[in-house]
Amino acid sequence: MAQTLRRYGTLIGMLAIVLFFWAMLPDTFMTARNLINISQQISMLTVVAVAMTVVMVMGDFDLSVGSMASLAGVVAAVLFTHDWPLWAGLVAALAVGLLGGLINGVLISLIGILPFVATLATLTMFSGAAFMVSGGKTIFGRDIPAAFSDFARGGLSLGQLDGRALLLPWLTLLALAVAALVWVLLEQTTYGRRLYAIGANPEAARLAGVRVTRLRLSAFVFTGAGAALAGLMYAARVASANPTQGSGLMLTAIAAVFLGMTVSENGQPRVLATLAGVAVLGVMDNGLTQLQVDSYVREVLVGLIIVLAVSISALGRRAVGGR
Amino acid sequence: MPHLALTGLKKTYGAARALNGAALDLRGGEVHALMGENGAGKSTLIRLLAGLERPDSGVIALDGTPLRLGNPAEAQAAGLRFLHQELQIFPGLSVAENMFAGRAYPLRAGLVHWRALRTAAAEALHRLDVTHIRPQAAMDALGPGDQMLVRIAATLLPGASTPWAYVMDEPTAALTGAEAERLFAAIAGLRARGAAVLYVSHRMDEVLRLADRVTVLRDGAHVSTRAIADTGQARIIAEMTGREMRDLYPPRGTATGTVVLDVAGLAAGALHDAAFTLRAGEVLGLAGLSGSGRNDLLKALIGAVPRRGRVTLDGAPLGDTPAACWAQGMAYVPRERRAEGVMLGRALGETVALPHLSRLSRGGFVNRRAEGAQVNTLAAQVRLKASGAAQPCGQLSGGNQQKVLFARALAGRPRVLLLDEPTRGVDVGARFDIYGLIRDAAGTGAAVLVASSDLPELIGLCDRIAILQAGHLTGITPAAGLTEAALLARCYGDTPSKDI
Repeated sequence: MAQTLRRYGTLIGMLAIVLFFWAMLPDTFMTARNLINISQQISMLTVVAVAMTVVMVMGDFDLSVGSMASLAGVVAAVLFTHDWPLWAGLVAALAVGLLGGLINGVLISLIGILPFVATLATLTMFSGAAFMVSGGKTIFGRDIPAAFSDFARGGLSLGQLDGRALLLPWLTLLALAVAALVWVLLEQTTYGRRLYAIGANPEAARLAGVRVTRLRLSAFVFTGAGAALAGLMYAARVASANPTQGSGLMLTAIAAVFLGMTVSENGQPRVLATLAGVAVLGVMDNGLTQLQVDSYVREVLVGLIIVLAVSISALGRRAVGGR
Repeated sequence: MPHLALTGLKKTYGAARALNGAALDLRGGEVHALMGENGAGKSTLIRLLAGLERPDSGVIALDGTPLRLGNPAEAQAAGLRFLHQELQIFPGLSVAENMFAGRAYPLRAGLVHWRALRTAAAEALHRLDVTHIRPQAAMDALGPGDQMLVRIAATLLPGASTPWAYVMDEPTAALTGAEAERLFAAIAGLRARGAAVLYVSHRMDEVLRLADRVTVLRDGAHVSTRAIADTGQARIIAEMTGREMRDLYPPRGTATGTVVLDVAGLAAGALHDAAFTLRAGEVLGLAGLSGSGRNDLLKALIGAVPRRGRVTLDGAPLGDTPAACWAQGMAYVPRERRAEGVMLGRALGETVALPHLSRLSRGGFVNRRAEGAQVNTLAAQVRLKASGAAQPCGQLSGGNQQKVLFARALAGRPRVLLLDEPTRGVDVGARFDIYGLIRDAAGTGAAVLVASSDLPELIGLCDRIAILQAGHLTGITPAAGLTEAALLARCYGDTPSKDI
C-alpha cells in the first residue's frame, strides 16, 4: 500500500506539474510544436542521464560527464578548424570520451578509488584539458562545418502544421536511439543483469562468477562515450564550442536519475524511470521559461522538486520498512 | 525470585496471525529456551516483551501485576534487557565508553572523570568474570563475542539498576566456538546471580546443554513447556514441526563412482596443504577449528581466492576465477548468506540465474522463457516458499534464502557442490529439506564438499570427514559411528588452544 503510494505519488506529482503548465499556458504549452521543442531541448540531457544510469545501476556515479561533454565538443571544433573532415572530428571526439571513461574505469575498478573522488579529479582534469585545447576561447562561425550544425536544425518531416513544416529533430531521434540502446543493454542482456547484480551485492556477484572489475570498467567507458556524444550534440545545436558549455549537464543528469529512482520499483535506477525524470526536468524548464520566471528562481524550484520527490520516496520507504 | 508470566497472547498483522494464544513463564535463576520454526512467533513475542508492539489481547504480568509494555523504556523499567545477533555498538569508542553509552559519565569538576569510568567498567566486567577485555580497548577491535560480553557487562555497572531478565535472540549466530563458550559461561554467571535468561536459538545442542526449561511455540501458539530432563531433541523437533521425525539425516549413500575432483598440495589463505580426492555420489565433510582453513579451501575451489597446488575436475585443470569454476561445473553456497549470497533487493530468480546467465542467453540476450522455466523447476525442487520468481530475496526467511542459494547451486546439474555452513541460521524444517537436497544431489552423481562447525551435522550427513588442523589436512575418516567427542578431539589434535 505504502509502496504503491510511494511510486504513484511521484508520478501523480509529475502529472500535476504538466497539468499546471497546461492550465497556466493554455495556448502555447500543450502544442505539438512546443512538445517537440522540449524533446529537442532535453536531448543532450537524455543522453547523459541514460549513460549515467549505466554506472548508477552498479551503485557508482560519474561526476566528470559535464566536463567530458565540454571537452568532446571543443576537441571536435578545434579539429574542424584544422580542416579535419567532419567524420574524423566526430570520431576523434568520441574516442576522447572512450579514453576519459577508460581513465575513470581504471581509477575506480582497477586501482579502487571511490567513484566520487576519482571522477571529481577527472572532472577537473577534463575541464582543464578543454581550456587547454581551446585556448579558453569559444570556437564558432566559419570554422564549424555547416553539415555539423545543420544536423541539429534538421529532422524527420512530420508534414505541415499551420502552414509550416513540422520536424521531429534528429537530436531527439538520436537521444531516443541512445535511450533504446541502453534500455536493451540494461533490461535484456546478460551484461545489464550482471551490472544490476554488482549494484545489489558486489561480493555475491563476484562469487557467482561475475567479472566485477572488467564490467565496472566497461560501464565507465560507456558513460564517458555517452557524455562525449552529448557534448557533440550540444556543440552542433549551438554551432559553437566552448570549454564550459557542458558543465550544467552533470548535476542535472544525476538529478534526473534520482528523480527516476523515486518512481521505479524497489527504488532502483532504470532507463525508463530516468527518461521520466529527464522529462519532468525538461517540462519544468520549458514551462517556467515561458512563464518568464527568472532563471535563478527556476534553479531553486527545480532543486525543490527534487528534494520533494526524494523525500516522499524516503518517507514511503520508511513506512514500508518500519512495519 | 521475580516471575514473568505471559498468557493468551494474540497478535495479527493485517491478515497474518503472528501469535495465537502464545504463553511463556519465565522465572529468575533459570535459563529458558524458546524454540520454534521460523514464523512460529518467537520474534513477535520478543517484540511484545521489548515494548516495540502491543498485543491484541493477552496478559503480561510480573509477579502477578499486569505490565503495560508500551515502549522500550517501560520494558527496561520492568528489568528486561535484549541482546540481538546484530548488536548496536559505537565502533570508534572504547569498551568503557560503550558501556556507559546512554547513561551519565562520571564527572569531576564538570569534566569526564576517565579513571572512574574505567574503574566502573572494569568492576562490571569483573562481575561477569570477564578478565580478558580491557576497558580502554577499542570496541571495534573486539570480536562479536567479546562485544556481546561487553554489552552484558554494561547491565551490571555499579550504581545502575540491575536487570533481572535477559532476552538473547540467536546470540551465537556470529560467534566462533570459543566465543560461544565464553558467552555460555557468562550466561551461567547471570543465572547464578538469580537472573533469568530467555534463550532463542536454532541450535539444538546449545539449547539442550544450557537450558533448564524449554518452551515450544508452533504457528503462534504455545505447544509445551518442559524441564530439560523431561524432553529431548526428538521430542522438541516433533513439537516444533508437528510431525514425527524418525531421523534427522537422510540415509548415507552406498555407491561411490569415479573420481570427480582431485586435489593435491592445495594452499590458499589460512590453508597450507590439503590433498584429497572426491568421488561422484560422495559427501565429504570438512571439520576443523575456526582458522583451520575450512573456509579458504572452499573459496579456493570456486576460484574466489588465489590458490597454489594442483586441482583437476574430471581430469581437466580447474580454472582460477569464479566464472571459470562455475562454468566447469563447480557450484558454491557461501557461508555468509546475506553478504556473499543473495541479492536482497532483486527478484530471487535473478540470484538463481546469475552464475548460469551464459547458458540462459543467446547472443548476450537473456532468454527469459528458459530462465523462468529453470527457476520455477528449481524452486519446486528445493520446496521454496515464495510468491514467485519475482519476489525479492529480502522478503524471504533465512531458510528460504538458503534454499534460493541451493536452487542456484543445483541449476545445470553441477559436478561438485561446495557448501559452507549450509544450515547456519536455518530452522529445523528447512534443515531437513536441505539435508535431503544434499543427498539427492549426491544420489544423481554430484560430489559434495560440506564445511560446517556443527559437528553432529557433519557426522550425520557425510560419508567421510576430512580434518583440518591449522591449515593442514591431517586425515580423512569415515563418518559412520564417529562420536562428536572423538571428532572434536581430532580437530584439536595436539594443539588444544585454538578457537573452534
